[in-house]
Amino acid sequence: MLLTLDILTTAAILFIVSIGLLAIFGVLKIINFAHGAWLTVGAYCAVVTAKLGLNPWLALPLAFLVGAVLGGIAEHFIIRPLYRRPLDAILATWGLGIVVGQLVTLGLGRDVQLTPNLYAGTVAFLGVDYSAYRLVALGIALVIGTMFALAIERTRLGLSARAVIMNETLARSLGIDTGRVRLVVFMIGAGLAALAGVLLTPLTSVDPNMGVAWLIGAFMLVMVADASYLALAAACLVFGAAQVLISTFVSPILGSIAIAVLAALVLRISPKGFSRA
Amino acid sequence: MAEAMTDATAAAARVAPAGAALALDNVASGYGAVSIVKGVSLSVAPGEIVALLGKNGMGKTTLLKTILGMVALRGGGITIDGQALGTLSPAKLVALGVGYAPQEQPLFQDLSIRDNLRLAVPSDRHLPAALERLFGHFPFLKDRLAQRAGTLSGGEQKMLILGRALMLRPRLLLIDEISEGVQPSMVERLRKVLLAERDGGLSMLVVEQHVAFALGLADRYAVLKLGEIVDSGSTKAPDAQARVIDHLAV
Repeated sequence: MLLTLDILTTAAILFIVSIGLLAIFGVLKIINFAHGAWLTVGAYCAVVTAKLGLNPWLALPLAFLVGAVLGGIAEHFIIRPLYRRPLDAILATWGLGIVVGQLVTLGLGRDVQLTPNLYAGTVAFLGVDYSAYRLVALGIALVIGTMFALAIERTRLGLSARAVIMNETLARSLGIDTGRVRLVVFMIGAGLAALAGVLLTPLTSVDPNMGVAWLIGAFMLVMVADASYLALAAACLVFGAAQVLISTFVSPILGSIAIAVLAALVLRISPKGFSRA
Repeated sequence: MAEAMTDATAAAARVAPAGAALALDNVASGYGAVSIVKGVSLSVAPGEIVALLGKNGMGKTTLLKTILGMVALRGGGITIDGQALGTLSPAKLVALGVGYAPQEQPLFQDLSIRDNLRLAVPSDRHLPAALERLFGHFPFLKDRLAQRAGTLSGGEQKMLILGRALMLRPRLLLIDEISEGVQPSMVERLRKVLLAERDGGLSMLVVEQHVAFALGLADRYAVLKLGEIVDSGSTKAPDAQARVIDHLAV
């Protein structure tokens, strides 16, 4: 039972961390290597909120807003001029991630920061005592996933985003402002990354480079999912399960590289990853 | 190869009457280091259909994409209703009343017909009126809005592409090989719709390889060969068909 809960909550956290990266990859066709930086910024929003003595839950909307605004600025000034040079855009986002990490260090120091738990304690759940916060994170992942699915399937922006993913040339020729779609999706993706940063604070320490480790895992998951959010959910479950099982029964160190190794294997066997299912 | 074009042909092609719906003046464009369209001058008067004929790879589609701003203009000028096109985005062109029926990957195959049509209107508010107009031309689409566009037959897809381009009441329509792979009875339906729209004042530049369809539809024709116009004239001229077929022969 404990194992099942561990797998589900691990998958939920992976999903929260990678969904923003997936949205940006699908629409802009670049891997946003600054994703880890937005995540760090979000985590520091939680730190700042705590220092100001505000309700820690306020960090969630604050982080989303800060992430979206910074993402919008980055898209406009850094990504947009490189639309036709996707490799340079990837390099630029990597550089941007380093710059943001350094700015955070300059502003708030390189020390590991502690934040109050958003939801402390344990609850008895299906016969085991389990971390209440991990269950909350599972719930939040389901909410984010559902809202994301509704936005994609039911809204006009979602339809435009799907059109850009499927055939950008046709979307443009029909008069869709693909530049606006890219900007909005980038802002939402960066906002979601910052949101994920806040949600990670009770589970991990906050430091200026915390985003990098999560970025690698999210990158692997998105490569396997190939722009389909359902495939991403499946990938999070499978790889999350592998991570938990290997960590529990073999070694936590092997568990931490399980995602990267498995993703490489999956892509070697099936280049389109999970999206064909 | 500009010298291959006779002076008479060049002069005929360059007649750009004041108030032309579309006027191309010595337009050049291409991809990367490759020059595709090499100085094309052509005009379409209001309510006129001009057929642009030529074999595969002669630059017909590239010329349409240049007018639409999807391929960069490298030389010459383009005016629509007297308004010079600098760097107008396709969105602005749609707002100006320019419709486009593309040939390559013209539909979102995996989306429903309704979603395909929604993507062609500026907001969902415009959809009911646009659909009414579409059903006026192609009533069979009425009961099939939920169907995936990719499940329509080839001819039905062409009707959807044309209907979509007509939904927003364009003033100028650019059509890329709408008759390609369509059975004769359906080609005739497309022709009737286009002629009715022409009589309603719509101007069209129709790219075609189907000579009989193009000459039966258009008021004037031009033949594009290796990026240049090598012949043009009235489709009513007795020798028009023979001349076009001669140009299209290997």
